[in-house]
Amino acid sequence: MELLDQAMDSARSLGADYADIRIQNSRTESIFLRNLSLKNTSLRETHGYGIRVFKDGAWGFAHSNAFSRDEVERTVKKALAISRQSSRIKYGKGLTLAQERGYIDTYSTPLIEDPFSVSLAEKVELMLEINQALLNFQDIIQAVFTLECQKDEKYFASTLDARIRINTVYIEPMFSAIAAAEGDSQSRSFRPGGKATGWEWIRSLNLAEKAEKVAEEAIMKVRAGSLATEERRDLILDPIHLSLTMHESVGHPTELDRVLGWEADFAGISFATPEKLKKFRYGSPLVNFFGDNTLPGGLATAGYDDDGVPNQKWLIVKEGILNEYGSTRATAPVIGLTMSRGCNRATNYYDFPINRIPNLYLEPGKERLSPQELIADTRDGIYIQDQGSFSIDQHRVNFQFGGDMFWEIKNGKKVRPLKKIIYKSNNPEFWNSVDAICDERFFQTFGVTNCGKGQPGQRGRMTHGGATARFRQIRVGGSQ
Amino acid sequence: MKEIQNIRNAVKFIQSNCSADDYTFSVNNSDQHYTRFAQNGITQHISGQKQSVSLSVAFAARTGTASVNRLDQDSLLNLVKTAESLAKLNQPDPEFVPSEPACELPEVDNFSTNTAELTIETMVDNIQKCVENARIRKAIVSGISERNINTSYFMTKNGFEGYDKTTSFSHSMTMKKDDVETKVSNSVLDHAKFDMNRQIDLLNSQFDSLKKPVELKPGRIPVILRPAAVLQWMFYLIWTFDRRNADEGVTPFTGQIGKKFFGENFSFRSRLDDPDLIAGKFSPEGIPGSNIDWIERGVIRNMTTDRYYGKKLQIPAMNPYNIILDGGETSESEMMQMVDHGVIVNNLWYIRPVDRKTGEWTGLTRDGVLYFEKGEVKHSVYNFRWNEILHTATERILALGPAIQQEYYARIPTLLIDDFNFVDVTTF
Repeated sequence: MELLDQAMDSARSLGADYADIRIQNSRTESIFLRNLSLKNTSLRETHGYGIRVFKDGAWGFAHSNAFSRDEVERTVKKALAISRQSSRIKYGKGLTLAQERGYIDTYSTPLIEDPFSVSLAEKVELMLEINQALLNFQDIIQAVFTLECQKDEKYFASTLDARIRINTVYIEPMFSAIAAAEGDSQSRSFRPGGKATGWEWIRSLNLAEKAEKVAEEAIMKVRAGSLATEERRDLILDPIHLSLTMHESVGHPTELDRVLGWEADFAGISFATPEKLKKFRYGSPLVNFFGDNTLPGGLATAGYDDDGVPNQKWLIVKEGILNEYGSTRATAPVIGLTMSRGCNRATNYYDFPINRIPNLYLEPGKERLSPQELIADTRDGIYIQDQGSFSIDQHRVNFQFGGDMFWEIKNGKKVRPLKKIIYKSNNPEFWNSVDAICDERFFQTFGVTNCGKGQPGQRGRMTHGGATARFRQIRVGGSQ
Repeated sequence: MKEIQNIRNAVKFIQSNCSADDYTFSVNNSDQHYTRFAQNGITQHISGQKQSVSLSVAFAARTGTASVNRLDQDSLLNLVKTAESLAKLNQPDPEFVPSEPACELPEVDNFSTNTAELTIETMVDNIQKCVENARIRKAIVSGISERNINTSYFMTKNGFEGYDKTTSFSHSMTMKKDDVETKVSNSVLDHAKFDMNRQIDLLNSQFDSLKKPVELKPGRIPVILRPAAVLQWMFYLIWTFDRRNADEGVTPFTGQIGKKFFGENFSFRSRLDDPDLIAGKFSPEGIPGSNIDWIERGVIRNMTTDRYYGKKLQIPAMNPYNIILDGGETSESEMMQMVDHGVIVNNLWYIRPVDRKTGEWTGLTRDGVLYFEKGEVKHSVYNFRWNEILHTATERILALGPAIQQEYYARIPTLLIDDFNFVDVTTF
């Protein structure tokens, strides 16, 4: 805490208009198992701090891993010197920061069993058991299991007198099997995404049962047929699949930095420009998307963002209309907003925080409806489970998605499994075609741990969710 | 010198304190400066040094790896304890391979004093030029300028030791006005070889050619893929170009090594002696760099191979450290004469696998697409989505341009490919 105070005192005395320091210690345990061979068993620790200085409407950011008074002083001065260089080419008349006050607070991910307290031996034993269970099936030629556990301890201080301590933890398990037969090979995965929680989650998942289903469906898939031609059909998408489509086609387009063109050179911009706010029909009236960084288990749920702004819940799409963006203290004022929605996050201590997708989910339907009832109500459609191929243009309009498991629906029944299915759609066609969403009993979340954005690139984390939904008359067909 | 002394002290500490049967120890340092700009102003500006110190140990075939980001004795002691305790708790790895022995490493020079001594002021001056150029066109420019100095040290208990120091400077910029947006990027080992004016001229040339794009119906269309687009494609080809996955039947390359699987006009190599490209002194696994022919006139000669699988097959482990595609002598205007009509694509975007076994990929075009007919550019067109089996597309290469240094790790030609499979069109 002494270094936090020193850094902020130093920044003030050197004339910074605003400054903050983020000390971050990140521990990542990674285990990668492939066909019973442990390809990676590692524990990585990264400890350091980044100092942002805002002066004359421009940023400077410097980082270091040396914890001494001299080094902190040197890093503050370096950040200030860089901000002076930045202010030679100001953004407009200079950036401004949305109003905020300094909070003194702590936040910790609620959990029962710290994943770092569970022995490596127990984790590896579980993973080997699952791997072996997959390989016991004759047609399974490759089985992998990856497990990542991460703990971040952060101290944040700013010249607004903020002093915040944040401890977050997440776990991400994933296993998959590849089946080979008849000259083809196809994979099927169990991939629930990352979750901010303790090891009790892993114990509740019943992985052995899921392994059996993964292997059976991989074998079923490799022998399945496909669709010959692209036609308009109804799509029924499960929550894990929907998490990826909403990430790409709603999450990214409503990041305010993209809207403003700040990512134009790499990740791209957005079609959802400010003149469309409160007017543009993004989806059907059933469609409500919440940004919610208070979501339990959410990977963006951390109490505060890296601007020191408290986590919030707000409507990004309200009854189908584009309502608001995810914003930061620097992006919000550019479109005249007086407050940030708290979406500024950095991955590591040496990363500059950038405007990130919040936890974002599709509100479940208000009428009682199950996935089985939805399938029974569909005459000609495709049911897609989990995630596969995905690609979207740099304005976030035109996209193509695959999936992990596909079923043909005829007259209300799943009649056969399929493989190599892709669908093409665009904004706003896709979300406007929603005519049914299952109710909250079927709401599921998926935590993204590898959202690539920024230059230099950062791996962002956030959670999505929804309940199984139906999309009318989307172009669906088989791949080549 | 201080850096080398710190590494030597750390090595002594590891040798004295690590009791494992086998180990590898690596130190990677980087000194980085990034200046990011958007909408004609600087939006991010980052500077600092990073360090990664990693120890992988083995007790018989039980392995464990730990990494920290400091070289002080407390951190090193923590490193040894963590790696050893992970290994002791672990199950034996049936595919464990002992660390590499001492070997002779190639003489390479990946370091440039010009780049290492580049100042922040000069980097900002460069950006100022980009912004002034954009303002003249009443356009906006966004991009990043970055300077990196990296050192890599790797040693093993069995006697391997390698040290390499590299520099790079990269600059990319996207200029946008109304419906027109286009990008150029280039990176070099030696900043003295970076020509800002040439990059701006190239950006302006692309920008000026892209006026009022219109929609063109998708279909199988001849395409001229410029080097930036071809390089994007190569990243994804390399991603799946693994010997073991091919042998296990999960990629299209099963049973194809030594056979003609790509087009006659497609040759891919890695070379140590290209003066403009980074040369691989040693890999992160401790494999000495060598000249590698991956694909020669369509025939698969070598595939990426890790140490375990290389040992199993009794072949060297190998990975591409740079990407060199053989070029030709056909100019872009000559290419336009070779087909009745077609499109010129500046870049590809968001490439992802559609089906791993068939080798089908999807992606979009980006940074501008031009329609040409009867040897002349007619107008720009909206971006396309494409779904294509990349290795079969190489069989349709009709002509190659000269291979140019596109990035500090890649020398790439323009390709004319017949019947490229464009399947959809975007709204811009």
